[in-house]
Amino acid sequence: VITASDHLQPGQIDAFADHELPPDEVHIVEQHIADCHPCSLQLLAAIELKQATAEAGRRLDPSPAMLARLTAQLHQDTRAPKPQEQPQWKPSRGLRSLLALWPALAAALLLAAVFVPVALLRRSAAVQSAELLDQHLATLSSAATPQMLSTDRHTVKPWFEGKLPFSFNLPDASALPPDTALKGADLSYLNGHPAAILLFAMGKHQVSVFVVERASFMQAPVASTRSGFTLRSVATRDLRLIAIGDVDPPQLNRLLSSLASVQN
Amino acid sequence: MATQYIEEVPKPLRGTAMDSPHTTTGAPSTASFEQLALPLLPALLRHALWLTQNEAEAEDLTQETLSKALRAFDSFTPDTNFKAWIFRILRNTFLTSRTGIAAMRTTFLEDHEGLEASVAAGPTPEETLIHLDDAATVQQALLQLPPILRDCLLLCDVEDLKYREIASILDVPLGTVMSRISRARAALRAHLQPHFGGRP
Repeated sequence: VITASDHLQPGQIDAFADHELPPDEVHIVEQHIADCHPCSLQLLAAIELKQATAEAGRRLDPSPAMLARLTAQLHQDTRAPKPQEQPQWKPSRGLRSLLALWPALAAALLLAAVFVPVALLRRSAAVQSAELLDQHLATLSSAATPQMLSTDRHTVKPWFEGKLPFSFNLPDASALPPDTALKGADLSYLNGHPAAILLFAMGKHQVSVFVVERASFMQAPVASTRSGFTLRSVATRDLRLIAIGDVDPPQLNRLLSSLASVQN
Repeated sequence: MATQYIEEVPKPLRGTAMDSPHTTTGAPSTASFEQLALPLLPALLRHALWLTQNEAEAEDLTQETLSKALRAFDSFTPDTNFKAWIFRILRNTFLTSRTGIAAMRTTFLEDHEGLEASVAAGPTPEETLIHLDDAATVQQALLQLPPILRDCLLLCDVEDLKYREIASILDVPLGTVMSRISRARAALRAHLQPHFGGRP
């Protein structure tokens, strides 16, 4: 019980201003301040200070833009599905492990699907180029005389009849690039298929032109320069013509153009 | 003071004014979260502004608070005080921020003796009553309060939270809340003293 001679403690004044006193204590404080002017003044000051603090505290007001952003984010977040709200089916632990690896597996499969064929094609093209170069180098050997030694196209073309499952034409000597002459021909196999080798002299250089059926040589050899030898190819409707020699690429292209121009 | 990193979801307070609507099964839903959180956005942002004293940080703090609260909403007990619950998350999130760690390096005023002396020489109640209508001055005085006292006082006077709710938010005993509020008001009067024309 608080008597008139006692005064309210600061804690009691604060608790009264904050509405934290139990009802019976509130009644006692109200009775006391009715007779105690200093305490009533202290209590009034405490209430005023509380109100002033509330007003000052609310002066630090967030901007409408900030509120709008947070409201929009809250709206979005509460509408986004929570992870635990996903379908109820729960895979086994082993399957979960596989599923966890699935993105990596999918990426690996995708990479394999893209790069393995590319790698195989690159390897295939490299093998073909090597094979073509080997056969061309074989023709350069003095010991490797071509079976058909002739500069006459009318002699060379008939020689292949019955030896190849396809036929081809040869241009007139005047239609060949300057300083280019037919030297002879031979039979060969490329990629497991029969091929004709036409040997040309381009100045002091020798060029081999392989003639194959296009159907058996769908993948065009990669135009390249290897060990000082240039490789170029051209396709007609039924044939693929591949030239290799130690001459400039434009010279090879001109020779191939003259050969391709006379095919059906 | 060793800063505490409190990340756990606060325990709910029962029987307060901020009771919450929930689904018929009693499980809180994200829709009811929005319903509860939306009206509190200005208060959360305002308190975040007081804590951080920086608009961008306050927005980030509030955003992170909402995100954490939404994730933990399943653990919120229906019919308990949502405001106290989310304010505690705000407070804990602030404590783990760089600004919060720096602010909480301030020593506890329970250990300060000098403050009591300055409070004793404060203005008279009459002087206080005359000049409290200047809110800008009071705001400046609030800014000069140690964060640990100001935080407690703002939760009480601005957010109208009960002592036990503040105790839950700050994770301190009820008596500490009462002590801090009393000290905060005394310090506030002391800071306001020059404006009242009182004794220095």
